[in-house]
Amino acid sequence: MKQTSDVLFQDKKMGFFLYLIVEAIMFAVLFATYIIFTPASQGPDPSEVYKWKTVVLTSVFLLSSSGTLLIAEKGLEKGNRTKIAAGLIATFVLGAIFMVLEIHEFYKYVHEGYSITVNNFLSSFYVLVGLHASHVAFGLGWMILLMVQFKQKIPQRLFIEKHKIFNYYWHFVDAIWVLIILIVYVPYLF
Amino acid sequence: MRIFSLLSLFLLTGCNLRVLNPKSDTADKITNLIYLSFGLMMLVFVVVMILFVHFLKKYKETPERLNEIPGDGKESKRLEVTWTVLPILLLAVLAVPTVKATYDMTSQVSGDGGEAKAEDAITIDVVGRQYNWEFTYENGKKSVNELVLPVNQKADFKLTSEDVIHSFWVPKLSGKIDVLPGEETRLSFTPREAGVYQGKCAEFCGAEHTQMRFETKVVSQAEFQQWLKNGVEEEGE
Amino acid sequence: MNVPFVGQVPSDIVVSWIASALIGLFVLWWLTKYNKWPVIWEYIRTTHHRKIGTMYILVAIIFFIRGGMDALFIRTQLAVPENDFWVFQSQKYNEVFTTHGTVMIFFVAMPLLIGLMNVAVPLQIGANDLAFPYLNAVSFWLFVAGGFIFNMAFFFNAAPNAGWTAYAPLSTDTFTTGPNNNYYIFGLQVSGLGTILTAINMIVTIFRLRAPGMKLNHMPLFPWATLLTSFLILIAFPVLTIALLLLTFDRYYGTSFFIGEMGDPVYWQHLFWIFGHPEVYILILPAFGIFSDIISTFSRKKVYGYTSMVIAIAIIGLLGFMVWAHHMFTVGLGPLANSVFAITTMLIAVPTGIKIFNWLFTMRNGVVRIRTPMLFALGFIPTFVIGGVTGVMLAVAAADYQYHDSYFVVAHFHYTMIGGTILGAFAGIYYWYPKMTGKVLDEKLGRWHFWLFLIGFHLTFMPQHFAGLNGMPRRVYTYSWEDGIFLLNFISTVGAFLMGASMLFVAWNLYKTHRLTDPVGGDPWDGRTLEWSVGSPSPEHPFEPVNQVDRLDAFWHAKVKGEEVPKAEDARPSPIAVKTLQPVILSIILVFMSIGFIYHWISLQVLGGAAVIAYLIIRSITDERKEVYEKEEEG
Ligand code: HEM
Ligand SMILES: [Cu+2]
Ligand SMILES: [Cu+2]
Repeated sequence: MKQTSDVLFQDKKMGFFLYLIVEAIMFAVLFATYIIFTPASQGPDPSEVYKWKTVVLTSVFLLSSSGTLLIAEKGLEKGNRTKIAAGLIATFVLGAIFMVLEIHEFYKYVHEGYSITVNNFLSSFYVLVGLHASHVAFGLGWMILLMVQFKQKIPQRLFIEKHKIFNYYWHFVDAIWVLIILIVYVPYLF
Repeated sequence: MRIFSLLSLFLLTGCNLRVLNPKSDTADKITNLIYLSFGLMMLVFVVVMILFVHFLKKYKETPERLNEIPGDGKESKRLEVTWTVLPILLLAVLAVPTVKATYDMTSQVSGDGGEAKAEDAITIDVVGRQYNWEFTYENGKKSVNELVLPVNQKADFKLTSEDVIHSFWVPKLSGKIDVLPGEETRLSFTPREAGVYQGKCAEFCGAEHTQMRFETKVVSQAEFQQWLKNGVEEEGE
Repeated sequence: MNVPFVGQVPSDIVVSWIASALIGLFVLWWLTKYNKWPVIWEYIRTTHHRKIGTMYILVAIIFFIRGGMDALFIRTQLAVPENDFWVFQSQKYNEVFTTHGTVMIFFVAMPLLIGLMNVAVPLQIGANDLAFPYLNAVSFWLFVAGGFIFNMAFFFNAAPNAGWTAYAPLSTDTFTTGPNNNYYIFGLQVSGLGTILTAINMIVTIFRLRAPGMKLNHMPLFPWATLLTSFLILIAFPVLTIALLLLTFDRYYGTSFFIGEMGDPVYWQHLFWIFGHPEVYILILPAFGIFSDIISTFSRKKVYGYTSMVIAIAIIGLLGFMVWAHHMFTVGLGPLANSVFAITTMLIAVPTGIKIFNWLFTMRNGVVRIRTPMLFALGFIPTFVIGGVTGVMLAVAAADYQYHDSYFVVAHFHYTMIGGTILGAFAGIYYWYPKMTGKVLDEKLGRWHFWLFLIGFHLTFMPQHFAGLNGMPRRVYTYSWEDGIFLLNFISTVGAFLMGASMLFVAWNLYKTHRLTDPVGGDPWDGRTLEWSVGSPSPEHPFEPVNQVDRLDAFWHAKVKGEEVPKAEDARPSPIAVKTLQPVILSIILVFMSIGFIYHWISLQVLGGAAVIAYLIIRSITDERKEVYEKEEEG
């Protein structure tokens, strides 16, 4: 008999990847929406709204969090608990800083009068980037849960499984961010 | 069988159906297409029905065959190719006139294709709104829920909506064209017989969509001119 | 009607409240009298595929009654010209057809098929359950929650009223204020998530849980159809999710994606139909699978052209994504777009035709045994061909300028959806009923049901083609004498009542079968596929040990040789079943959260959100894998 945990993990992995396809399609539709409505026929143009500094800063934090997560993954493979903990905590901190910057960005935009209802470019921007941000927020919560489970006595294989699934998620969210940079920001910044 | 008898029964009354009894050039074209596609499709239907009835009769379980195990038999590549290729040919036969008619009609129906306005066409601005139709003629005459057209003269419509989406439809004179807010769509046809025809909104547009009807009166050139003038005078009074 | 404390309420709603209360009381009484509470308690905590499948079908039938009553209201109102039946005019009528359409598609046709997939697919591929039993329960309860939310609307006099297509700008809050269409959005969001999760579950199950040795091309056609349908769901449903999300922003947060100077109402139509057209194939492909299995079984022959059947499904699925704009021929997309979409649409007829001929040739040289499931399959062929040929007629873009949004279209899609999906679901239910309950439904009553339903069906919908050609637009609540469509509509109404009457035979059949007949063995139809090799109803762990399979129709070939299907030596571990209330609780949370959104009660939204997060945390720490992995690590 094959090892149960192994087989069940492979099931779950496939299922989760399929779920990520679903998410990818949702984002694809939002990207299409953004492209269709940007720039809008009236109201502010993206180039007035975006600040390249914020974009670079947020990107640095989020993308490097994918790197620190790799440390945790190494730890998982080697069974090195310190690496796991360090990787997770670093990822969490970087992700949290991204979140703070992102919220700050939205807050600033709204203060400058660029709120969601101003024009269709801003509407599609907020829905798309907002959905991404909510994914990051969800990921942060997930990491806290993961760290709690790390402390708890749960079967090692179960923890590895949960951790790996989380890794896929986080890398996916990062990949979406790269697309956001390329499709949402870059054409109007440089 | 039942279906057949029903079908033929209705086909006999078919000559009275508005769509199949067109009174304009565009509607004629559509009706021809409908007959063509119907004919081709009946062919398919009949073939399927013959096979269906035949196989059913022949291979139905009988007391002698209760326990027979027929075996899977050989499959024939020839047959499979036949029922792949023949339908494709059939559809090609249908596709050519479809594309042609679509181009013919749509370049007049919408967009800028038919910009070269025929000299003698009249242009009518149509506004759809919950729940009536307003027609504005070139001389400024307006009328609500009553469309008057001269016979044998091409009519160009420019349509737009004030609120939600509607769809302009005079079954005997032309197909539908949607009437969109913030956009202009086009339609044109040449009525060839005087008479009164029903017009309807064919896109669900709210509570009283059902009541969003209008009357189309196709009249002689003289009557039309008379009517056009009347309106404007009335407005001036 | 004036109701104390509430005020003016339409009489249909008062009647429904009273009727529902009475039925509810009766059900409670019945459950108590016959001591059924333990069964309920068992079923609401189950994660077992057969039980969940059965519940899907039961709930779908309840919604079918609801949608069917709506249909009868529609038909009664349209029976004669200038009719004023009860309250069903104007906005009320709009609410009725919107509810009818939405309920039939999302809460009847989909769950009937998903229910049958649940019951049959694991058994047909020799698996002990779906890959994710817990997730399966979640899917089911999300569907129930979505259906509940959607159906609740009517009882609060706020049924959605923008059609099942919810075209913008009519569906935005500028033109349809009030909570009505909010119900539509949240009902579909919640049940849509459930559908997506089911699709994932089915794909993983079919890829990873097949019996050892069973290659993909050893599977019966129903699992094949399920697999490909699941991929369609995976791609199509997220598009609906986002379309509804954008509509939510338009309705709630003041954006204008689909309305106003900047917005584009046609964008809604694109998104909706990019989802919507694949959706109709999602509804038909599983039915094709069911018919393939049934026709093969009841002809005692392998299905003809197995490979081309599979390829045909795949091509239909693929083309299904390239035809959406045939719903938008009259929007004015231009001649090029219209021509392209006309041709892709026509192309779909080719693989569909291939399937039809393969079915016919499956019967050739066979022994065609006409039992109720087969009867439905036989009724399907001519009916669906009519729906198919009118489909090709509709694909002729220029001609569609006439058909579009007329009763011709209503006739067409009922020929495909009732002639295909509903007949398929009926066939499947009669066919797999023994696997669900251990009994075979009565043949004679089944025949009554079939013939009445089929005759009623054609009477209802055949005349509608002609009503459409005579200029009757769809979604109208009345017509005049001059329209010349009285007779057609009248026949249609008579037919609808016949169809309604046929359902009484189903009720009688259920009653009779359970009262008077004895259980049957595992293989009442002389079947070919693995589900017939296990007992009826299928046991909790049907394949223990798992079979070794090396060909199509393995059970049949073993049977012919007088052997058993061989057992496998080295099988993978089965998925973990649990008993849990969590999915039910999640669905209750989502109902409340949706109400919060529907009525703009922000505190309820926040509370609901928090509860969902709490649910997720609890779910994670009560993971059923914990025990299993612990044991493994000890061992
Ligand atoms: C039981 C017998 C049924 C009858 C008598 C019936 C009758 C009707 C009628 C008359 C309409 C047109 C309403 C209008 O345009 O004003 C309609 C619409 C519709 N029906 Fe049915 N129907 C039945 C079953 C079904 C089933 C089983 C399905 C789907 C699986 C279905 C799906 C639809 C849809 C999607 C619409 C369009 C709703 C809309 O316009 O928004 N119907 N039905
Ligand atoms: Cu209308
Ligand atoms: Cu379609």
